[in-house]
Amino acid sequence: MTGSGEVAIRAEGLTKDYGSGRGLFGLDLVVHRGETFGYLGPNGAGKSTTIRLLMGMIQATRGRASIFGLDCRRDAVEVKRHVGYVPGDVPQFGGLRGSEVVSYVGAMRGGVDSARVRELCEAFDLDLHRKFREYSRGNKQKLALVLALMNRPELLILDEPTSGLDPLNQQTFQELVRQATRDGATAFLSSHVLSEVEHICTRVGIIREGHLVGDRTLEELHELRFHTVEAEFTGPVPEEAVRSAAGVGDVRVEGSRLTCTVHGEFAPLLDALRQGHAVNLVSTEPSLESIFLAYYRGTQPDDAATSATT
Amino acid sequence: MPPRLLLRQQRVGPIAMSYFAIAYSLINSAGFPLIAGKTAAAQAAFGTQMQALAAQITWLLPLPQNPGTLGGFVQWRAYGFLAIVFPAWALLSAAGATRGDEGKGLVETWLASGLSRTRYLTARGAAFACVSGLALGAGGIATWIGGIVGSSPLDPARVLESSISLWALTLSCYGIALLLSQQTLTYRSAAGASACVLLVLFLLDSLQRSVSPSPLVGRFSVFSLNDRTTALAPSGQFDVAAVLILLAVALVTGTAAALAFQRRDLEAGLVRVRRHARTAHAPARNVLLGIPILRGLWQRRLSVAAWTAGASALAAFIVAIINGAAGLFTKTPSLQPFLRGLGGEVHVALLGLIWFALAQTLLSILAITYVWRWADEDTNGMLELQLSQPVSRVSVTFERAAELLVTLVVVTFVSSLVVMLVASANHITVGAGSMLLATVLLIPFALTFAAVGAVLAGFRPRLAVGVPATVSIASYLLFQLAPAFRWPAWVADLSVFQLYGTPLVQPVFVGGLVAMLVVVIAGFSVAGGLMLRREVGA
Repeated sequence: MTGSGEVAIRAEGLTKDYGSGRGLFGLDLVVHRGETFGYLGPNGAGKSTTIRLLMGMIQATRGRASIFGLDCRRDAVEVKRHVGYVPGDVPQFGGLRGSEVVSYVGAMRGGVDSARVRELCEAFDLDLHRKFREYSRGNKQKLALVLALMNRPELLILDEPTSGLDPLNQQTFQELVRQATRDGATAFLSSHVLSEVEHICTRVGIIREGHLVGDRTLEELHELRFHTVEAEFTGPVPEEAVRSAAGVGDVRVEGSRLTCTVHGEFAPLLDALRQGHAVNLVSTEPSLESIFLAYYRGTQPDDAATSATT
Repeated sequence: MPPRLLLRQQRVGPIAMSYFAIAYSLINSAGFPLIAGKTAAAQAAFGTQMQALAAQITWLLPLPQNPGTLGGFVQWRAYGFLAIVFPAWALLSAAGATRGDEGKGLVETWLASGLSRTRYLTARGAAFACVSGLALGAGGIATWIGGIVGSSPLDPARVLESSISLWALTLSCYGIALLLSQQTLTYRSAAGASACVLLVLFLLDSLQRSVSPSPLVGRFSVFSLNDRTTALAPSGQFDVAAVLILLAVALVTGTAAALAFQRRDLEAGLVRVRRHARTAHAPARNVLLGIPILRGLWQRRLSVAAWTAGASALAAFIVAIINGAAGLFTKTPSLQPFLRGLGGEVHVALLGLIWFALAQTLLSILAITYVWRWADEDTNGMLELQLSQPVSRVSVTFERAAELLVTLVVVTFVSSLVVMLVASANHITVGAGSMLLATVLLIPFALTFAAVGAVLAGFRPRLAVGVPATVSIASYLLFQLAPAFRWPAWVADLSVFQLYGTPLVQPVFVGGLVAMLVVVIAGFSVAGGLMLRREVGA
């Protein structure tokens, strides 16, 4: 834990029951000031429901949530003074120019720091002169990020903040969040991309079907992660060497092709592969859903990969 | 594009319009013997009364031919009113087929599936032609059945001819709106621009009907072309040439729209203004954006300006035709009883009756467009954005109400000022006090619709527009039909229009004013309470 010990977000038995098993159930969570908390889960897991409960947009069926000790529903106005928020869907500002949107939202928060807005827009290369409806999807997302960050809030609540951003702007966003937390802010961000959360978060919560199934530090997350490796050989397959390599499991050989999973370091596997003549090597990161299944049900992943390298 | 999908896309409009056409046609045709009497003498007397009534609303409906007969009455009352409602549907449908579905990304999806732009627009146009034809056909059948029920059957061929003319008018308006939508960017702007153009065409026709000698320009209006068919009235005519011109207008504008659609980018206008390359990284220096109420009005400034200009232009037009209408009343002996019944000076009485009845309708529509926006803000994320700032939920509700209040004050007072100026130029003397009173009372009247809509937007946003619009239409029909059908006074009083009264010539209807204020205060209070409890973005 990198937080100062003061609680930024607290959820106690927080439940939002939409019926038919949908919603959020019995969430107990504490995020400390200064932490960057990643909230991971597949689509429909309950990430946005949690965030809307924290923002006081919806009412809890049971339980309570507080931000800096303030009740998220009862003290909603006071809570918002401390929070910068990026919703899952960017609001439609229609024909307003980006600069007008910034002034409009800034005025609601008591004023705009022009220098900060300029700094953020330059970092994202966002032109505020253009009308909102002329913005691309990525530019709309950048504007939402500028609106959330421009008042240097104590707490950032970000619902899939990098949705629609290109890799360069994703890096810019990650750097801005790191900077904000260095300055003492807390960040709570949802995502379904494991690698994104790994880059900036100090702690990760994993939600599945409305239940928090894991609350891990980054180090523990690294242990959770694994890759599927597929190698093709021109000569004999070094099956035994691979089976005995540290961190390698689920080894299967079909003809000249070997597949296995790797947890942690790649070096032992690479040493084992050198004992044969590999002509093709593919490493894939399983989908988050596969990792959940593997980790929480004790099964091996078998579905599509989210990234690949050769 | 499968026909079933096309028809499903447009299911609400056709169903609603078919119901409306059937109900309205049936009421007028089957109810004729009830309101006009069954003897020839009673019907002749009724015809004289209707001539008097028609003379004061020539800006709205053409003068009837033999309204003492079922055919003449239905042609004037039913088909005349449907000639306003169906073009309104056409413009909304055309704006929806282009900018509405483009805004939702549906057009992009269909085009990506391999459908050509021409085929898309042709399919949408053909689908509308089918459903509007079916709705009018249903209305025609209802008219014919109503005649049989009332023991004075109409010639089905005549009913068909009147329906065909109305259908051609509807299609021409659809084509015009389709063409105009190619330049606008959003559904609202497409509907607004089309409404402005069709309103101008309608007013040109009104001018031709109401001013003597009639200006030549009025004959070029599509509405004038429809007026030339009076097939249902005794000795009426079916103007084939006018119908063919209307169909040609539909074809030409539809083709032009298809060509424009080929040339333009999706979500862009046909003509794009090139701007100087300029970038900005600083917030806008507009102080209005920082002031509650004014920040919302700034965003709606074009809409407020358009409503003010439109209402003022309409007010000026109405005042300009008052002298002509008053002259007709004073010179026609058979209209004298009606004239005496109005009370007050004839010009002022007619002004109160014509302009302020129209102003009520306009302002109720304005209030409903605001309700539409409020309901929309829940789905487009704007409400979520507002509530993610340190502002209370109740303040959001009352800021919305205040924005509408300011808009209503601007629109009513500017248009009333125009009424005073044009009346003065036409040597019509209107008391400033009664004018002020009549103007001020329009505000609680319009807010009544907004209050009902605000409550619905709090728990059933999908109903927030439909219910106030239904209340408005039902109120208008009650207001119009209750005296004609001799319904009890309490039934007539159910109309919101009755609550306003006729303050320009008669004392203020205190009971009505109290009722409106109660609805407004209670409605917005309940809306504020619902806002506290409602779930946003769920």
